[in-house]
Amino acid sequence: MKISVWGHELSAWIARAQLAAYGNDIYHVVADNEPIESHLRSEPGLLTSIQAAEFSQRLIIDPHKALESDVHWIAMESSDFEEAKTLTERLAESDQPLLVINQSNFGVGASDELQSMLNESKGQYVIYFPDVLQAGQAMQQFANPQALLIGSEHEAATELMLSLLRPFHLGQRAIQRMTRREAEFVKYAITGILALRLGYINEMAGLCDQLGIDIDAIRRGMTTDVRIGSHYLQPGSGFGGQQFTQYLEGLSTLLSKQKGSVFVDTLLQQNEVNKEWPFRTLWQHYQCDLSEKTFAIWGVAFKPGVADVETSPALRVIDALLAQGAKLQIHDPEALQTLAARYPGNQQIQLMTHNYDACQGANGLLVLTAWPEYASPDFNRIASLLENPLIIDGRNLYDPNRVQSAGITYYCMGRSCLTNS
Amino acid sequence: MTQAWSKLEQSAARLSSQHLRELIDTDQRFESLSFRHEGMLMDLSRQRIDPQVMSELLNLAQERQLPSAINALLQGEHVNNTEDRAALHSALRLPKSAQLQVDEQDVVNDVHKTLDRMEQFVNQIHQGQWRGYTGKPITDVVNIGVGGSDLGPLMVCEATNQFRPEASLNIGLHFVSSMDGSQLSNLLLELDSETTLFVLSSKSFGTIDTLANAATAVDWLQERSGLNRELLIKQHFIGVTAAPAKAVAWGLSEETLLEFWEWTGGRYSLWSAIGLPIAISIGMQGFRDLLAGAHSMDKHFEEAEFAHNLPVLLALMGIWNINFQDIHAHAILPYDGRLAHLPAYLEQLEMESNGKSVGVDGSSIAQRTCPILWGEIGPNAQHAFYQLLHQGTERVMCDFIVPARRYVDRESSLQDQHQLALANCLAQARVLALGDAALNDGIERPTWQRYFGNQPSTVLLLDELTPYNLGSLIALYEHKVYVQAVIWGINPFDQWGVELGKKVANDLITALNESADHEYDPATEGLLNEIQNVRGNGQ
Repeated sequence: MKISVWGHELSAWIARAQLAAYGNDIYHVVADNEPIESHLRSEPGLLTSIQAAEFSQRLIIDPHKALESDVHWIAMESSDFEEAKTLTERLAESDQPLLVINQSNFGVGASDELQSMLNESKGQYVIYFPDVLQAGQAMQQFANPQALLIGSEHEAATELMLSLLRPFHLGQRAIQRMTRREAEFVKYAITGILALRLGYINEMAGLCDQLGIDIDAIRRGMTTDVRIGSHYLQPGSGFGGQQFTQYLEGLSTLLSKQKGSVFVDTLLQQNEVNKEWPFRTLWQHYQCDLSEKTFAIWGVAFKPGVADVETSPALRVIDALLAQGAKLQIHDPEALQTLAARYPGNQQIQLMTHNYDACQGANGLLVLTAWPEYASPDFNRIASLLENPLIIDGRNLYDPNRVQSAGITYYCMGRSCLTNS
Repeated sequence: MTQAWSKLEQSAARLSSQHLRELIDTDQRFESLSFRHEGMLMDLSRQRIDPQVMSELLNLAQERQLPSAINALLQGEHVNNTEDRAALHSALRLPKSAQLQVDEQDVVNDVHKTLDRMEQFVNQIHQGQWRGYTGKPITDVVNIGVGGSDLGPLMVCEATNQFRPEASLNIGLHFVSSMDGSQLSNLLLELDSETTLFVLSSKSFGTIDTLANAATAVDWLQERSGLNRELLIKQHFIGVTAAPAKAVAWGLSEETLLEFWEWTGGRYSLWSAIGLPIAISIGMQGFRDLLAGAHSMDKHFEEAEFAHNLPVLLALMGIWNINFQDIHAHAILPYDGRLAHLPAYLEQLEMESNGKSVGVDGSSIAQRTCPILWGEIGPNAQHAFYQLLHQGTERVMCDFIVPARRYVDRESSLQDQHQLALANCLAQARVLALGDAALNDGIERPTWQRYFGNQPSTVLLLDELTPYNLGSLIALYEHKVYVQAVIWGINPFDQWGVELGKKVANDLITALNESADHEYDPATEGLLNEIQNVRGNGQ
């Protein structure tokens, strides 16, 4: 099938790669090297699939042909709604049946607005297909979806969509049909509850510190209740991610506009406070004076497996430390390049290729992203490299006993009963 | 009596039987008596003057050598003779390119260095990078100061509130001045000690009111945090003072100290680092706009001919009313709620400056000087003391202050509200001047419904209330005060009249603490005994 894919989002690139891999001809207008130049380059499997699609000539840049396809997949940034409308206007000039699959975060009602620009009597339909892909696992999740959520008001359009995605669901996955507006809102509702769980466990961790109990024991206890489950219950110094944050902000705006509710806004604000937990801990440890001190930072990506630092909690910590005149030696397996672009020519920042090098002569180590390679380090080596043996763990990665037996002062979240501090 | 003075006395006699409505009803009255400087129009057409009086007043100014006195002020001569120093508030608003060397100090350079440091502090606060003792960003700023360290910043912050940039909207600003802790005690119940920054403003760093409030603030921080005083002061206090050594002795660190200079009078100090709360509120750009507006008035004051010079003319109207019309009450009536604190600010500026009866040479002054000033937001005062203005026995001169434009981007109902205020302002000025004749309906009324009119007023019409125009307005009054002082031959820059009370109070603290044998006058002795009795019974 000929399919045009529009937009720069991760989901647009995943759709190009996976749809081409299953024999579709994909037309688009975006430069080939975009994923390589951006944080998308670290998305597992993406670059090789794109290269394979280009090699087999199933991924073709052609602005004219892109407008002539029967199926259009739109995965644009949330700020590009005007662009999507202009595109839909162009497509509406055709007399042929069309399927427009919207996967962008344009807000509730946006797909209906696009539909109103098309001619239903000619079989021109819009479907909303929520973007439930998680960065770091997106290729695999597209290829093997647990369920399909489809927002469509027309059975014919739904059937066409399902046949298009048949190689991925093989008719064996649960399919949830709903209206476009409902499908648009589902994505907000999912994001909201995930954020609530993260916010909740962080509040509990703070309380555990006050009560002298271990949050990890509490978390394990909670997960024995099948109604709760184990996902998104790891305390940490704030959550980030551009897409996650955008949906949350969208939900927060909807709630405050429609209901005057500050429910999600409060959560977002508290998250900003949580992001600075490692800084505050360091600040208090050094009695409000961090100037002229040097700190090692492990991890700046907003989560492991990605090279993206946008809205990453690490940025808040870095900004706060820079403002206090501290020097930073930073390591991240993937995100150093995107980080460097945010702080061009900053003399206080030194980017390190090896994580242990970052510790050399530093007055403390801050662990801010739970990359697997940070999970089991040589604490004795860290202790010998640091000027002051101190670890502030924003991701609760370590066993306090192991860290402390290496002579390191250790701070983590919700486990002050296990640390000397 | 000098020649110009005598002529003015004769003119006063000549005009004494003329009602203001007759004076107003002359050709080109408004055109010849309204004066503009940039975004401000000063209308003197409702003053009880005619062209001859105006020219005699201008002669008086020349006779008192006002031109050289203005030059002396702006060039940094020691116009404050009793304290032997300059009064260089105008230098605080000179642009960076200007040059002024006074008593071997490169004034402009020092002023801009302090402005740059203020900017650093403001940016740090706006960016959420000024941290409290737990590392949280500052969310509330409390200005502790009294007199000039309170009234100026408070008045300007209130007046310019709508000009706050996005970055400052989340910062709560509070002002604490009262010696008895009334304001502070309430505030400390609401504020979070982790995120509160105190600005400790005191020129002398010896003001007991301010230091008492500061001590309470430090106690509060210590109690909440359990941390030591030195650390808390470093993170939670900015000091603003002309006595840095004393501030350091109190515990402030030099890193968080902003300095100004002896040649800045307290009531003229909002342009200095004392204006830090203003800069935190409206950003450095807003603060620099305020300074630029004032500087523009300084240039006008220095360069414009007296016949068109707003501060000079405003001062001369005051001289005419006080010394030749026998009016000794002056009402400040802003028709704009944002200027609620302007009356209190001008009360200090005018009465502390010119409430004097001794001349620069130490001799008694023969004529009357500063009148009683008071005021209130005009529309509110209409329901309070306007009765006295319209039908009382006191003669009062009034300043009406109102912007022409407001709420341009807001709801039409708010625009209507401003329209209403404007209409009331114009109506009151008209009725005060004309009396019954304002209605012009020929109906005979009983005596208790009669209005005499004949009360003079000035209208200051701002195009709109912006930081720039507000700067001009305040500088207008500052220079007006100076011109009047020059004509009366007094020093407007000292305030010896406030010293004795402080001394006696110190003495009485001891008497209140212990029932020692002191000898006071019977009235004081009587009250001391009563207080001791009440306290004794309460125990």
